[in-house]
Amino acid sequence: MRLALAVVSLVVLVGSGALVYKETQATWQNHQKAYFAEAKAQAKTDAERASLDVKSPKIEQTIVTGFGASRVERCESCHIASDDPRFASGKEPVRTHPYSAAMGDVYKDGHWERKHKFSEFGCTSCHDGQGRGLTKADAHGEDEYWPTPMLGYTVQANWKREIAGHLHGADFMQANCAQCHKEKNFAGTALVARGRELFFKEGCFGCHRIQGVSSGTIGPDLTEVGKERKLDYLWGHIVDPRAYTPTSVMPQFKLSDDDKKALVIFLKSRRGTSPSESPVEQYARETSTVTPVPDSVAEVQTAITAAKTSVARGEQLINGYACLSCHKLDDHDGGISPDLTHEGLLRDPAWLMDHFRNPRSRITDSNMPAFALPEQDFQDMSAYLMTRTSALPAMTPAQTYESLCARCHGEKGNGKGSNAIYLDPAPRDLTRAEFMATKPRTRLVASIQNGVSGTSMPPWGKTLTDAQIQGVLDYVWAQYVKEKPRQIKARKLPDTNPVAMSADSIHRGETIFLQRCTGCHGRKADGHGPNSIDITPRPRNLTNAAFVQSVSDRRLFESIEYGVDGTAMPSWIDYGLSQSDVGDIVNFIRSLNQSSK
Amino acid sequence: MSKEPNSIGKSVMELPANIVRSVFRNPLPSSDRGRAATSFTNFFLHIQPVRVSRQALRPSYTMGLGLISFFLFVILTATGVLLMFYYVPSTTQAYERMLDLRSSVAFGVILRNMHRWAAHGMVACVFLHMCRVFFTGSYKPPREFNWVIGVCLFGLTLLSSFTGYLLPWDQLAFWAITVGTSIAGYAPFVGKAIKFILLGDATVGQEALLRFYVLHVVVLPLILTIFVAVHFWRIRKDGGLAKPEAEAAPKRIPVEVEIQEEPAPVMATASAAIVAPARRFTIQGLVRGPLVKVGKLEEDTVFSWPNLLVAELFVLLLTIAGVMLVSFFFNAPLEQPVNVMHPPNPAKAPWYFLGLQEQVSYSAFWGGIGVPGIEVLLLLLIPYIDRGREGVGRWFARQRILANSVFLLFVLVNIYLIVIGTFFRGANWQFVSPF
Repeated sequence: MRLALAVVSLVVLVGSGALVYKETQATWQNHQKAYFAEAKAQAKTDAERASLDVKSPKIEQTIVTGFGASRVERCESCHIASDDPRFASGKEPVRTHPYSAAMGDVYKDGHWERKHKFSEFGCTSCHDGQGRGLTKADAHGEDEYWPTPMLGYTVQANWKREIAGHLHGADFMQANCAQCHKEKNFAGTALVARGRELFFKEGCFGCHRIQGVSSGTIGPDLTEVGKERKLDYLWGHIVDPRAYTPTSVMPQFKLSDDDKKALVIFLKSRRGTSPSESPVEQYARETSTVTPVPDSVAEVQTAITAAKTSVARGEQLINGYACLSCHKLDDHDGGISPDLTHEGLLRDPAWLMDHFRNPRSRITDSNMPAFALPEQDFQDMSAYLMTRTSALPAMTPAQTYESLCARCHGEKGNGKGSNAIYLDPAPRDLTRAEFMATKPRTRLVASIQNGVSGTSMPPWGKTLTDAQIQGVLDYVWAQYVKEKPRQIKARKLPDTNPVAMSADSIHRGETIFLQRCTGCHGRKADGHGPNSIDITPRPRNLTNAAFVQSVSDRRLFESIEYGVDGTAMPSWIDYGLSQSDVGDIVNFIRSLNQSSK
Repeated sequence: MSKEPNSIGKSVMELPANIVRSVFRNPLPSSDRGRAATSFTNFFLHIQPVRVSRQALRPSYTMGLGLISFFLFVILTATGVLLMFYYVPSTTQAYERMLDLRSSVAFGVILRNMHRWAAHGMVACVFLHMCRVFFTGSYKPPREFNWVIGVCLFGLTLLSSFTGYLLPWDQLAFWAITVGTSIAGYAPFVGKAIKFILLGDATVGQEALLRFYVLHVVVLPLILTIFVAVHFWRIRKDGGLAKPEAEAAPKRIPVEVEIQEEPAPVMATASAAIVAPARRFTIQGLVRGPLVKVGKLEEDTVFSWPNLLVAELFVLLLTIAGVMLVSFFFNAPLEQPVNVMHPPNPAKAPWYFLGLQEQVSYSAFWGGIGVPGIEVLLLLLIPYIDRGREGVGRWFARQRILANSVFLLFVLVNIYLIVIGTFFRGANWQFVSPF
């Protein structure tokens, strides 16, 4: 018993000792000792040497009270020589902080005078990091959850390597310079100014709000994004918006690395509050509703006001509202939304106005927001878009496909065009022969000519001649389908639903639907059943009124009774549905889509 | 009243000895009388009996689990109070305080680690202690109600740990509490109300954080302390730890314990060693009653001082050493700050509720409320259902094979569910292999 008692006592004792040792013995003491030794070697007088002899390492602590939130900084516990000019060639951390005339330091009477004194500004107001940390990892913010790692110096372990490689360099500190130096032409914050320019040039302002800069409402507010996000997130999100947020609708901008850097620095400088700002200034800024208009936007607004006709005004509005951040118009391609170049040939004014007021009234699953703009603006923009009627130049079928179809259906015809992921329903995969070759040619021609209601497929009938449509279809056939049209055995199908529409019939249809169809089409019939995620093409949204109303009873009967070749829709005759069952289901589906018309 | 005139010099000379004597009353005991006196004249020792049975001291009998649980509670209180100096129950500051504890507070990391691991340890030890009590049949009369108090203490321990889980305000905390309180919401009739009272809101937020904090640092520890006190008091009054029947009814021997009569009106307190005993009483002659077991002293007992005390000291040191070692090598987890928009998949409750969550994945009501409710009710009623008197005070007594088997099954099923929930459940609560 005594032995056991002695052993555990010893363990507790040794453990406590180890804890205290671990807590009190730190590398900063070694740095200070090295500094004292070196300083002693360089000392010129005995008195100086004697004073160094009696020095022992202690935590060097600055309390910064006059600049931003009061904070404790212990950086000089390691960086003890930062203000001792003799250590200019020393090794970090025992090294003089460089003097810089560009930062306002003055060389006078043989020694430098700092403009940003450490005692006044501290270290973290420029560098970020954690002022109170006493180990390198803590102080530099290497802890993966520390929100402010040292800008441009510290890369946290969990940052993706290909991103982290871009995030080194003193340039990133410009984001902090800009906290106080807000002048747009300030020499030290050139990259912030460049980033701001890109923010407007790339149309970011159309979706994102930054207080005092822009007032977009679609994307997240970026007013404090520099405080909320770290460099790796900002960079990574610009490179691939869906890397961090799989559901993001932000387009992937093709920027050079230099431009990405400038944009990241500009965003990092958006911190909301600034240490140089007095509480009164902060209050004034927060309550101000005035958004100063940047030059590029001011030009557009002047142009809108100056525009004399509705059409001219509409054209300027489309620029002013940054529609082209998403849409394509002539050579400017936002990469998300449909091409507006030929809009005057594709749609009519009523369609456009409906769609402006509520895009989902025409395309049920559209991701375009319903903008709360004055009716006059909608009319002007519609008027402008209706002027987009210029005839196409003569093109070969291949060129036609390239310029009109490839953006959605893809260069390989596989339905994976550059903006396909934003479209719901997704563009048809033209390489799926099982689907394409089993559909009558008349239906395919009609789809091109009249478009497909309720989807993003527009009617090309006014843009392309019949011959051109046939030519494109031939091209698609030769290039992607690569199979002869299959002969389908004549199917016995009613032209109109033989089962009369009645509450009973709808109820019977609903019962069958809930038993047989919800696995893929979902309980709400919106195409989002539990199995739908594994199925391409996706199950049809049966509440898409525009689409359902455009489809004949005959086609609904065919799809249900015989299935749809090339999709997951099976032939329900094989599963025992009778003609009258299908009639009930058709009545049920029709009943879902009546209210909207 | 001393006859000699007061001498300052003499007072000064005797000062240290006088202070020590005034504090401790007794010198280190060298006789049985002294050992007995030490036990009952010291506030902290008088909760213990003067003599304790050898059976209760055998490590293989109790495994010290109850004591370990208690000492863990003491460690938790000590580290918890220190942590309170740094913690702010605010959704905007709590997480920052965690980062501060990790990087710039002296001994912050070890404090948090010790608190965290001791809390997990306490949940485990209290449960194991309950198993020990069951398997040794120690809940038999007259200890029925102490078992009930014990079950309540287990519940309070779980609640304390659960409320503490939210405080770091990281993803782990937020979603574990979201899951945990949702399970509470499945209770019929009162579930929604309980959930709302706990959270002070429809979802986990600032109100919930404040409520959990107050529950964690004030309400639950206070209730726990009172229950622990009653638990201990009843152990004494029920005649110490349960013993086998053969020993439980020993031949009665009158034990003589000396109690001093007050020697002089000035010395109002019982100063056992200072004055020679004036008279002798037997305790038997003093108190009698059905509850007080003083008269039933067995032969096979030893003095608490030093035997019990050394054992307790050993368990205390062992507990501290264990917690310290674990805290030295394993850091308390801290995940990303709360992000309401990004639930982890799967979101898991604290490990001791994962058995519950596993059950909930089959049926919300039966898994979360029905079955656990019945289990807790049965636990509380065990001593009133199982009235047999055999097999008390021995591990896995043959006479109790049915009761022990049923309880073992209950324990194993719960452990099995926790293991499944902890290691074998991945995204969407799909079965995954951890290997």
